[in-house]
Amino acid sequence: MSEHKHTPDVTVDARGAGCPGPLMDLIGKVKTADEGTVIELQTTDAGSKDDVPEWLDKAGHELLDIVDQGDYWSIYVRKA
Amino acid sequence: MTGYAIVLASGELEKLTAASTIASIAAASDVPVDVFVTMNALTAFEHETVETGAFQTGPVGQAMLESEETEIPLFTEQFRDAKALGPLSLYACTMAMDLMGRTLDDYVDVFDDTLGVAGFLSHAEDKQVVFI
Repeated sequence: MSEHKHTPDVTVDARGAGCPGPLMDLIGKVKTADEGTVIELQTTDAGSKDDVPEWLDKAGHELLDIVDQGDYWSIYVRKA
Repeated sequence: MTGYAIVLASGELEKLTAASTIASIAAASDVPVDVFVTMNALTAFEHETVETGAFQTGPVGQAMLESEETEIPLFTEQFRDAKALGPLSLYACTMAMDLMGRTLDDYVDVFDDTLGVAGFLSHAEDKQVVFI
């Protein structure tokens, strides 16, 4: 169990997918989610660490945290 | 600028995939994208080419097709998925279709319509053109 403070409402498991898979999966989920929903994106794609925050900034959603889970990353997002 | 008009002319897998990746993320972010598929790019959308995986590739394209660790969806799937998420349209070039004796039924089901050069220019009028 990880000890970070964010409890996701939804988890998107995009592990194993290369660019643009994780970002596309996240966008798909963000589009249908209600405002305030916390989404955890799980990704093994190192590029996601930079690219997802870039997209969030542009799209106006909130980056809560990026947690290194050892063999993947969890990117926590709140839909605006 | 109100989006991108992408001219996809190359049949190389790497260029097809770069186009589908950029178009997908843009459209999913609500940026309008029109893709005009022409020349050898159109052949890559034929059922037979997609089914046999007989694409023109260099080293990166080979790695995409063979990698077991990283799954990269084929450009046709990326286009299909992105169309469900945002304003993305694909058009097949009538000239290339005529030359090759093809109809839209010969291609995977991602095209909205066929288009000639005047039609493309009209679509591109208010967009940034990207030539691949």
